[in-house]
Amino acid sequence: MRHGMSRLRALPRAHLIAGICLVLLLLYPVVNPWQPYPQGVMLLAFLLAIQASSWNIISGYAGYISLGHSMFLGLGSYTVGVLAVHFGVNPLWVAPLGGITAVIIAILIGSVVLRTRGHAFVIITIAMLLAAQIFAVNLKGITQGSDGITLELPFWDRDFQNIPFYYVFLILMVLTVLFSAWIRRTKFGTGLVAIREDEGKAASIGVNTTRFKIVAYAASSFFIGMAGGVYAYYLTFINPVGSFAILGSVTIVLATLTGGRGTLYGPVLGAFIVQLVSEGATVYGGGSNARVLVFGLALMLVVLFLPKGILPTIEEWWRRRHPENVEYTDQAGALSRAPVTATVTVTERVRAEIAAVNEKDEVAPGEILLDVRGVSKRFGGLTAVDDAGLTVRKGSITALIGPNGSGKTTLFNLISGGMAADSGEIWFDGRRIDGMRPWRRGHLGLGRTYQVTRLFKEMTVQENVVAPLPDSRWRTMFSDAVRGHEAARARELLDIVGLGRFANQPAGALSYGQQKLVELAQVLMLEPKLILLDEPAGGVNPSLLGQLTEVIRELNRSGVTFLIVEHNIPLVLDLCDPVVVFSHGAPIAEGPPDRIRTDPLVLDAYLGDDWRPTEDGDEDGAGDRADETTREAVQ
Amino acid sequence: MTHLVQAIALGLLIGGVYALMASGLTLIFGVMRIINIAQGAFLILVAMLTWWLWHETGIDPILASVVTTPLMFGFGWVAYRLLLSRIRGSSASMSVLLTFGFALVIEGVLNITAGNKFKSATPSYFEESFRVGAISLPKAQVFGFLAAMAVLGVLYFVLTRTWTGRAIRAATQNPSGAALVGVGATGTAALAFAIGSATTGVGGSILSVLYPFFPASHYDWISRLLGIVVLGGMGSLPGALIGAGILGLAETLTATYGSLNWSTLVFYIVIMVVLLFRPQGLFGAKLREDTV
Repeated sequence: MRHGMSRLRALPRAHLIAGICLVLLLLYPVVNPWQPYPQGVMLLAFLLAIQASSWNIISGYAGYISLGHSMFLGLGSYTVGVLAVHFGVNPLWVAPLGGITAVIIAILIGSVVLRTRGHAFVIITIAMLLAAQIFAVNLKGITQGSDGITLELPFWDRDFQNIPFYYVFLILMVLTVLFSAWIRRTKFGTGLVAIREDEGKAASIGVNTTRFKIVAYAASSFFIGMAGGVYAYYLTFINPVGSFAILGSVTIVLATLTGGRGTLYGPVLGAFIVQLVSEGATVYGGGSNARVLVFGLALMLVVLFLPKGILPTIEEWWRRRHPENVEYTDQAGALSRAPVTATVTVTERVRAEIAAVNEKDEVAPGEILLDVRGVSKRFGGLTAVDDAGLTVRKGSITALIGPNGSGKTTLFNLISGGMAADSGEIWFDGRRIDGMRPWRRGHLGLGRTYQVTRLFKEMTVQENVVAPLPDSRWRTMFSDAVRGHEAARARELLDIVGLGRFANQPAGALSYGQQKLVELAQVLMLEPKLILLDEPAGGVNPSLLGQLTEVIRELNRSGVTFLIVEHNIPLVLDLCDPVVVFSHGAPIAEGPPDRIRTDPLVLDAYLGDDWRPTEDGDEDGAGDRADETTREAVQ
Repeated sequence: MTHLVQAIALGLLIGGVYALMASGLTLIFGVMRIINIAQGAFLILVAMLTWWLWHETGIDPILASVVTTPLMFGFGWVAYRLLLSRIRGSSASMSVLLTFGFALVIEGVLNITAGNKFKSATPSYFEESFRVGAISLPKAQVFGFLAAMAVLGVLYFVLTRTWTGRAIRAATQNPSGAALVGVGATGTAALAFAIGSATTGVGGSILSVLYPFFPASHYDWISRLLGIVVLGGMGSLPGALIGAGILGLAETLTATYGSLNWSTLVFYIVIMVVLLFRPQGLFGAKLREDTV
C-alpha cells in the first residue's frame, strides 16, 4: 500500500478525516433518533458504499470491469429469502450465508472467464446478471418466481424503526473498507495493481494472474452478498426484477468512478454523492423514469470529464501545489565517460540468500542449467526461431548476440513463457518447462528483463520491487507488502542497484536507464537462478552502464547465472563467456569471446568487416572502429 | 421429426437476423477495441422509429429501413466524433462505461418520449406463413432473414472489395501500419463505427416486427449480441455468424423441447461451456498483445 500511503500523505490526514466522519455517523441516530427518512437515505448510502468498495477490488485494483455486480446483492437477498421462507430462520442471522453464496458463484464464473485476458469478462458479467434473473423467475419451487418472496417484519420494537439497520449497514461498510485496505497492503493487492498495469509482465514476475483475478472477484463479492441478505430483511420483499437490476450495477460503477477508481476512500465518497444526488433526482426530478436518464448522463460526463475521479484529481492538484523536490539524476558523473567509481556491494544477507537458493540445486556449477532443444516458433510465414538449440551452464554469463530480427527476443519469450513454442523442448534446472505458465517458471527461479522496460509506471519504485512472488504459497501472496520482511528485502535490493533513495517515487518518473536497474532489482526479488537480460545496455548512459555491469558481476559471483542479449559488443566480449551467435532463428556459432570475434562465419553474419583483424594485426584499431559501429547500432 | 426440422429451420432464420445484429458490434470491436454496449439501445431506437413510421404512414416496417439505415449511419458517425473519439487512447474499460452511459441515455429519452409500454409493428403479413411441406415458416421471419442476408452480403462486399473496406480491415489488423500507408485512424474508426451503427437500421426494423419491445428491452438484446460475439470470438465476423446460428438454434430447440423461459439461459450455458474449452471463443485468434 505504499502508493496508497503516499496518496494519503498527499491528501493530509485522510485517515483522520475518515475517522471523524465515522464518529459523526455513529452518533447521528443518537442525536436525531426519530427521523426515519434521513436514516433511510443514509443507510442506502452505506449499502452503496459497501458495493462500490467491493467492486473496487476487482474493477479498481485489478482493472477488470464488472457490469453485473449487483447480481451479488440479489444472490445474497435470495439466499436469505429462500432460507427464511423454507426453514423459518431469521434473515439477519443467516445474512453471512448470502456472502458465501456470492463467493461460490463468483469462483465458478471467474474460473471460466478469468483465465484469459481481455474483454470476455465484462460481457459475461452482464449476461450472468440477466441469467440470475431468469433463474429467479423460473425456479418457482424455490424462489416463488415473479411473485417474489415476502419476509417477516423485523423483530424489534417498531419505535426503533431503521436504527438497527442503520448500524448493521454502517458496520458492514467499515468492515468492507478495512478489508479493502488490508488487501491493498498485501502482495496480493500489489499483484492486482500489477495485473491492471501490465498483465503479461505481472505473469513473468511470478504473479499467478488467473488465481489472483479469481480471488479478487470472489473477494469483491462477499460483503455485497452479506449486505444483500440484510437488505432483503430491510425491504421485507424481494422479487427477480428488483433484486437483479442492472441499474443497481450502474450506481455501483458510477459511485466508484466518481470518487476515484482504485483508491481506498474514493468509492465511499462516490457512494454518498451518488446516493444523495439520486435521492434528489427522484424527489425533485420526476420519479424513476428520469433516473435512468440522469444516471446515464452522469456516467457519460464522469467518463468524459472526470475519468480519474474526485480523490485522484484533488491529489494531483495538491501535488502540483506542493511539489516535492527529488534529485532524479546523478549530476556527478552521469555524462562523463570516466570509469565508474560507484562501489556496488551486494549485501551479505542477499548474497547468502542467493547462495542458499542456488546451492540446494540439483545442478552443480558448470553443468547445464537451461537446455533449449530444437525449438521453433513461426508467425504466419515467418519462422522467427528455427529448430534452435542452446545451453546455458550454471554459473556462467552467457551472451546471445546476432542481427536484429534473428529471433533472440522471441527465444527469450519462449523461455520465459510469454509465447508458446510450436515445437521443441525447454528444460530448466532438471525440469521440462515449455508447457508451464510464465509464473510457474518464475517460481522455479527463472527471471527476465525486457528490451523496452516494462515497469508498473503508476506504482512506486518500491512497490514495483515488492510485487514479484518467488513461490506459489498462499502465505507469500497474503504477506504484508508495506512493512516487514518483504518490504525490507525490496529496499535492500534497491540499495544494491543504487536506487534506494527513489523508493517512494512513481516508477514512471525515473530515467530509462534507472528503470532498467529497477527491473533488475524486481527480478532479484524472485530469488532467481537464471536471469535473462534483454539488451540491458540499450539507452543506458556510460556511468549507469558501469554500475549495471558491476551488479551483474557481483550477482554472478554469488551464484546467479545470466543469459544476456546485447548489441554492445565490447561489453559482451568483456563480460560474457561463452558467447552464442544467432542468425535466422538458430545459433551459428558458440564459444569463448576471443574465438567468436575472429570466427569468419560470425564476421559475415553479424559483426561485419570492422571486426575483421587487419593484416598487420592491429587489434586496437579494430576495437575502436567496432566501438563506433556499436554506438551507431545502439542509436 | 417435423418438430425438429421446424425448430432448426426457424432457428436458422432467427440466427440470420441475430448475425446481422451482431455483425455491427463485432465490426466495431474489431477495428477499435470498443465494446459498444449502446448497440442494443441503437436497435431499440430504430425499432421505435420504425414502429412510429409504420404507425403514422403505414409504410412496411422492413422497407422503412431505407430511411433508418442512413439515419443510423449519420447517428453513429456523429456519436463517434462527439463522444468516443474523445477517449481514444485511454483504457478499453472507459469505452465500455461511456457506451453503457450512452445506452442509458437513449433508454431514458425513449422512456420519456415514447413511454415504457410494449410495442410491436404488425404489418398485414404478420400472422401469415409460407408452407414448405409439413413445416410452416412465418412470412415475417422469412422477410427478416432475407433482408439480413442482403445487408450482410453488402457488408461483406464493402469490406472485401472496396478501398474503404480494405482500409477498415487494415486498421483492424495493424493500426500503425495502416496509418503509415495513409489510412487515417480516426477517420477509419468513425467510418467503421458509422457502418456498425448503420447495420442496426435493418436490424432494428426487423426487430420491430418480430419481437415486442420497450425501452428497457435493450439489456436483453445487448447481452444476447455480446454473447454471440464472445462465443464466436471477439472481432471475428465468421465467428459472429456461427455464434448467431448457435443462439438461434439453442433458442428454438429449447423452446420446442423444453420451455421458452429457459431458451436464453441455455445459450449462456453453451457460451460458458465453450469458454471452458476455448477461452478465446470459437473463431477468436489469440492476439499478439496477449503474449508477454
